Amino acid sequence: MEILVLIKQVPDDSVDIQLDPSTNAPKLDGVTPVTNAFDTYALEMATRFKEANGGTITLATIGDDGAVSSIKECLAVGGDKGFLIKDDSFADSDPAAKGYILSKAAAKLEELNGAKFDIIFAGKEATDFSKDLVPAYLAQELGVPVVSDVIAVDPADGGLLVKQETDTGYNMIDVATPCVLAIQKPDYDPRYPTIKNKMKARKAQVPVLTAADLGTEADKVGAAGSLTKTIGMHAPAKKQAGVKIVPPADVENPIAAATAQAVSIMAEAKVL
Amino acid sequence: MAFEEFKDILVVMEVADDAPASVSLENIAAAKSVAGEGKVIAVSVGSEAAAKTAIEYGADCAFVVKGAQFEQYNADAVADAAAQLCAEVKAAAIFTAATPAGKDLVARIASKLKTGAVNDATGLKLDDNGNIQFTVPAYGGNILTDVVIDSVRPQVASIRGGSVSKLEPAAGKAGDVVVKDITVADDQVRYAVKEAVKEIAETVNLEEADVIVSGGRGMGSAENFEKLQELADVLGGVVGCTRPAMESGWISRAHQVGQSGKIVAPKLYFAFGISGATQHVSGMIGSKYIVAVNKDEEAPIFDVADVGIVGNAMDVLPVMIEEIKKVIG
Ligand SMILES: Cc1cc2nc3c(=O)[nH]c(=O)nc-3n(C[C@H](O)[C@H](O)[C@H](O)COP(=O)(O)OP(=O)(O)OC[C@H]3O[C@@H](n4cnc5c(N)ncnc54)[C@H](O)[C@@H]3O)c2cc1C
Ligand SMILES: Nc1ncnc2c1ncn2[C@@H]1O[C@H](COP(=O)(O)O)[C@@H](O)[C@H]1O
Repeated sequence: MEILVLIKQVPDDSVDIQLDPSTNAPKLDGVTPVTNAFDTYALEMATRFKEANGGTITLATIGDDGAVSSIKECLAVGGDKGFLIKDDSFADSDPAAKGYILSKAAAKLEELNGAKFDIIFAGKEATDFSKDLVPAYLAQELGVPVVSDVIAVDPADGGLLVKQETDTGYNMIDVATPCVLAIQKPDYDPRYPTIKNKMKARKAQVPVLTAADLGTEADKVGAAGSLTKTIGMHAPAKKQAGVKIVPPADVENPIAAATAQAVSIMAEAKVL
Repeated sequence: MAFEEFKDILVVMEVADDAPASVSLENIAAAKSVAGEGKVIAVSVGSEAAAKTAIEYGADCAFVVKGAQFEQYNADAVADAAAQLCAEVKAAAIFTAATPAGKDLVARIASKLKTGAVNDATGLKLDDNGNIQFTVPAYGGNILTDVVIDSVRPQVASIRGGSVSKLEPAAGKAGDVVVKDITVADDQVRYAVKEAVKEIAETVNLEEADVIVSGGRGMGSAENFEKLQELADVLGGVVGCTRPAMESGWISRAHQVGQSGKIVAPKLYFAFGISGATQHVSGMIGSKYIVAVNKDEEAPIFDVADVGIVGNAMDVLPVMIEEIKKVIG
């Protein structure tokens, strides 16, 4: 099976990112870029699929030069080759424009690989902006099926048998290849790289594909090709600082005293 | 750009057992607030009863989608139906609930109609040019973005529960309920649901709960975790959890609050043994009042708590239950 895994580099999602009032943009200095968590789940699922059924995993990201580090991380835990999709004209692309760019990228990579992709794995959502949209726009551009919230995938007659998480359980879905799968957190965690694979990935070449390589049309990418426009950013209303009660040491039952105090504050605030 | 001929708003509802989900009724109020002179049209797949309820809650009229392809839920079929209805009425906007299914629909409808979309809107208003300006959280809700779709129609969006209040229902309010027999071209239904399995038997209504009592890894064991139910019962609330608590098997996935769980905004939220990771906090930061109990004085959960107690959750919990019983009598 030929597999494409789409990854996005995002600011570390375990850090509280705030708006910088002086620039009115997210304050990102000092925040480590990481691979979008859901994309690491997607890669792990793709790698397990490859280990069980054979195949090759190509990685691709639309990003800047810094995103190469994410590609290399992913090469160390299952990816076979990786590409950076980069062009000035791609800046400010919304999910619709990204879906278009990725469809052109998939076609170009198929040409380079000399084989068609059977499955395109994406994350369910990016943890920074724009949630849950790129995989569907991409699938629509390619005219192929898309399944969301995928937590397992296996080969089946004529295609794949896919497990989709739902609010009340799960669906078992029959889907033909080629298709796009958007991955939700499965019940396992992504693997860590071995030292050997890490060394190997560090030395890997990550070729760049530009708008000229992909043959994207200028009015379908970047701000021109975007159907949504972000016109402003602001910080949510600040909550008033709360009270933190440390149990007093000088009473017989510190926890009881602290808890009673907390409950009386709640009662005063009329939340009970 | 002017879009005068696009006026009406379709609200594609989530329906279970002939009743619209609460957030779908909120969507109707949201649509009302930006529809201007346009109609708000509720779309119910299969259920006339749900369509009537939608009209009582403010929809001007309703479409009931019928057809062989809608007997089992398939997002491709529903998205195509919505697209067909959109073309028929020239909808200015299409709204869904920001649930996993609702967000999936938004992506399918928007990509099919080659239009713009947002997921997870937490607010909306009409701007001076007649476009809907959506408030969309980024970075786990630490930043809010203002997004417009100003060059195409319809404007497709999923809206989070708790963002807009439902309207007061007017029992027996009149409004047309029109059955639409819809056929979807075979090549537009691109996958088949072989089996829909209901694993979680209990109905957990975290999004509609006024009180949520959540526990995290700090609860330490399944037995300890169970004690949270007692506090929830005293306050008529529901138990929530973090991802590790769910993954430890202490409680089912339906209770998980956070980025990969439910986004909640109750009046009162308790966090016992929860560190306050952004992925959890982003799911509960909308709560009106937050109470945290954690043995680590430095735990980030205290940064968002209205009241915090530094201490062992299992010591605090029984005392808390007794003290609260005293207050509410
Ligand atoms: C993509 C992604 C999505 C995620 N989605 C979610 C999500 O939807 N929901 C979610 O919750 N998490 C989610 N997570 C996980 C999240 O990052 C945190 O790991 C998780 O929220 C931590 O859960 P916790 O607070 O229960 O555990 P921990 O972080 O381990 O914290 C336990 C806390 O309990 C305290 N404690 C220990 N013992 C006691 C005691 N006896 N009494 C009182 N306090 C005690 C400790 O001091 C500590 O603060 C997600 C992560 C990723 C990467
Ligand atoms: N810049 C990008 N490059 C490659 N893939 C992306 C990019 N942005 C989004 N994706 C993919 O689409 C998924 C969903 O992203 P989003 O729709 O932005 O929430 C991500 O998890 C990625 O797999």
